[in-house]
Amino acid sequence: MIPRRRFLAGLGAFALTATGCQRRRQATEGRPPGPIRLVFQHQPFLGDPAPLRRLFTDFERENEGIVIAAELLPSAPGAVHQYYLTALEGGSQDFDVFIIDVIWVAEFARAGWIAELTSAFPPDVLRRDFLPGAASAVIVGDSTFAMPWYVDVGVFYRRSDRVPQAPRTYGEVVAFAREAMPRQASMRGFLWQALQSESLVCNVYEAIWGHGGTTMLGDRVLLDTPEARGALEYLRALVACGVSPLSVTSMAEEESRRVFQAGDAVFMRNWPYAWAEAESPGSPIRGRVGLSALPTVDGAIGRGALGGFQLALNAHTPAWKVDAAHRFIDHLTSPQANLAIALAYGRNPPRAAVYRDPQLLTGAPAIAGLLPLALLAEPRPVTAYYPMFNGTLAAEFSAAVTGVRSPAEALRRAQAEIDHLMREAP
Amino acid sequence: MRRLGLTLAVVLVVLFCTGPFLWQLLTSLRPENELTSLDFPSSLTLESYRSVLTGRPFARSVLNSFLVASATTATSLFFGATAAFALAKLEIRGQRFFLGMALLASMFPGVAVVSPLYLTVRALGLRDHLLGLVLPYTTFALPMAVWILSGFFRAIPDEIYRAAIIDGCSPFQAFRKIMLPLAAPGLGTTAILLFISSWNEFLYALALTSSARSRTVPVAIGLFSGDHKEPWGEIAAASVVAMLPVILVALVFQRWIAAGLTTSAGKQ
Amino acid sequence: MTPSRARATPFSTRDRLTAYLLAAPAGALLVGVALFPILFAAWLSLHRLILILRERRFIGLDNYAYLLHDQRFWTALGNTAYFAVFSVTAELGLGLAIASLLASAAPGQRLLRAAILVPWAIPAAVSGKIWAWLFNPDYGLFTRVLPGSINWLGTPGYAMPAAILVDVWKTVPFVALLIFAALRNIPEDLYRAASLDGASSWRIFRSITLPLLKPTLAVVLVLRTLDAFRVFDAIYVLTAGGPANTTETLAIYTYKTLMDAGDFGYGSTLAIATFLCVLVISIAYLRVLGSEGRA
Repeated sequence: MIPRRRFLAGLGAFALTATGCQRRRQATEGRPPGPIRLVFQHQPFLGDPAPLRRLFTDFERENEGIVIAAELLPSAPGAVHQYYLTALEGGSQDFDVFIIDVIWVAEFARAGWIAELTSAFPPDVLRRDFLPGAASAVIVGDSTFAMPWYVDVGVFYRRSDRVPQAPRTYGEVVAFAREAMPRQASMRGFLWQALQSESLVCNVYEAIWGHGGTTMLGDRVLLDTPEARGALEYLRALVACGVSPLSVTSMAEEESRRVFQAGDAVFMRNWPYAWAEAESPGSPIRGRVGLSALPTVDGAIGRGALGGFQLALNAHTPAWKVDAAHRFIDHLTSPQANLAIALAYGRNPPRAAVYRDPQLLTGAPAIAGLLPLALLAEPRPVTAYYPMFNGTLAAEFSAAVTGVRSPAEALRRAQAEIDHLMREAP
Repeated sequence: MRRLGLTLAVVLVVLFCTGPFLWQLLTSLRPENELTSLDFPSSLTLESYRSVLTGRPFARSVLNSFLVASATTATSLFFGATAAFALAKLEIRGQRFFLGMALLASMFPGVAVVSPLYLTVRALGLRDHLLGLVLPYTTFALPMAVWILSGFFRAIPDEIYRAAIIDGCSPFQAFRKIMLPLAAPGLGTTAILLFISSWNEFLYALALTSSARSRTVPVAIGLFSGDHKEPWGEIAAASVVAMLPVILVALVFQRWIAAGLTTSAGKQ
Repeated sequence: MTPSRARATPFSTRDRLTAYLLAAPAGALLVGVALFPILFAAWLSLHRLILILRERRFIGLDNYAYLLHDQRFWTALGNTAYFAVFSVTAELGLGLAIASLLASAAPGQRLLRAAILVPWAIPAAVSGKIWAWLFNPDYGLFTRVLPGSINWLGTPGYAMPAAILVDVWKTVPFVALLIFAALRNIPEDLYRAASLDGASSWRIFRSITLPLLKPTLAVVLVLRTLDAFRVFDAIYVLTAGGPANTTETLAIYTYKTLMDAGDFGYGSTLAIATFLCVLVISIAYLRVLGSEGRA
């Protein structure tokens, strides 16, 4: 008993010493001698890490005196937002270039956490070279606050062997699904994401746009409108009538993809990443998937929600690093980098011209074919307050879809709360 | 008959406790395209484990977690046991106040102090450093240790302690040679509790670390997912790997719990 | 075998000093650690402090006035209370049963002791993912096994019981081990004497075991209620507070207000409110259960 306790006590003391033996990081004031060390924080790209690392080493080779230190952060948006909020509010200088979600740019700009990049990346150049959705997401007022890293857009998947023609209207979705479902046991109709989360908000906005609604009127976020009511009623009806299974209310992207990829659903709304997964070797539905624009109420081409990530510069980065950081961001958002990331990791380029690049056409034709849909990608409300009320949106939309409240009531409550929030601000 | 009933109960409890974990284990051994199937896998593969252990610095995270949790447990147990003993046996004035403070400290929602904690840790130069985690963890573990251990020390009859004093021991000797062994079950339980809480902590680990040198297991597991895709096979494998050190440590400590009164200290 | 509180001889000054010395480090740390978050959050709660608006202004008790009418707060409080009552009851009952099993002559003690550590050892985020996988209506094991085809985590009214089950599963080991440790402290002689006198197992349990377990049960009750009132990880990973905020607890609401919205003023108010609830509950517990002079 006693010898074991001594051993454990020794182990504890050793652990304490071992944790203390790491060198502490000293805060640097003024530029230290040696190369400029840029810290780049990013979420992991699943797959071969070599192409990404090559981007860094290429930059280091072309820019003597600059060293890139890459650090990983988790992908879960809640965790990342919490991390940056704590660090940037605390004036952290521990990282320089980092990646933020498309819905955070206005917020971080307003809070003074990210540096203005207008001098290095003028807005008119952005609007000329990049997809309109991507450019609008990073330009706040007349200033550029971030650079697009890659984009995402909501798209519509179907089983091309069951439904040869892509449905254009919501009516067709319901009709085709009802026709195809009975032909196979355990076949579900239309899978989408109704889990109370940002994914649900994307789905609902796509339905609102599909019903002809608009996101904002001037500075005011529009929610309590006939189009929004129609959209929520449509989504609720999908679940209530069985066209969408009850399980959608706990589905995020991966849950819906897994069921669709197992061959158990006719239609799915998801991001473009699911295409590469569905076409991977070993996938039960390989070669039997069709991708198209989202349907709408009247057959017009549906606009998918704009997703994706942007590169931002820490506002607290010392002045002597800023030029190096600009060059690094420029390198990472160059057409060559866009192409490399698209080919290696399947991320959709934010630059319009890259979609017509012959290398992309041969190497990743599915991505190249996304251009018409990417051009139509529509952003969610672009306002600094968005992260303050998107939780309310998710909760009220979830209430409408699960039947806890009527769509009209849910939208009325959401509108009231958001108006109150935005009016309260100075 | 009674034995049959007891055996059945044991089987049920074991199944209840380990069932989900066993399912996770099975999932970690499945081939990629059978992850969601409910039948037995057509073949067992170690692919997920290979990917977890070779593709990333995951083993490093396990080591980091082990160091942080051990250091936290050791310090909290030491200071907690001494304080609890003093509170329970030495008739200090204001012991209710102390215990109240101890409870108060562990009652506050941790998320509300992430910001000032971050600033403090940064000011100490301990951001992205293992000690930068041990410090906050100890401050939250210590009250818990004091609270639980004082209960156990108080349950030990005063006569034993007083008898030792009368026999000529100093309070500290009595503490070391008699009280500690008798309180072994409480020490064991507290040790497991502290170790596991430190091992599983995510909120502060995320805020206070950022590179592989100080990353702990919960954050490392959070790195497995891409922005949409969630490689469930690898996450399953990683969680199995992450649990092994914890279970080993817990097995070591739970022997103290089983030791009970029949120790070398004996009864005076 | 109640320890007598009468002192045989008064303690010497040296003993007193030793006592204070022993307790000093922990004491200092405790006071600092206990008071600092409360004071800090209380101070912030008197301000309107929204990070992204770069706004910080003293508004006195306005946040608390808003809190009293905040429907979302009262819903969260209700959810939290519901969760606490049912999970703590289940944990105590199951924990007591498992502890008795551990203390009994059942075969497979080693296996049992190792097995009950498993739920505890899994990180909360991972266990949430495992259970979400099990509860998945399309490919989860439970859907095959349980009757009906309920989407547990996606249906209001069913999500919270599912979350309670997950939390109970995760924390029953801790309760069982604590109670088991206390059971080990009860001398064998008492049991032997009672069974010699012809008492049934139930009678022994009621008259000997339970009263002697009471201090430990009190500790467990307090600890688990406090923890249940502050539950975050277990539920957040499962449902993120949904569907329709029906599983949003006080901790989740606080977290979202602080970390998603960046509203440190109102978020601190919520934290203080949670703390006050928890304080009231623990005072109530200690009054009712601490009547034997054990603080």
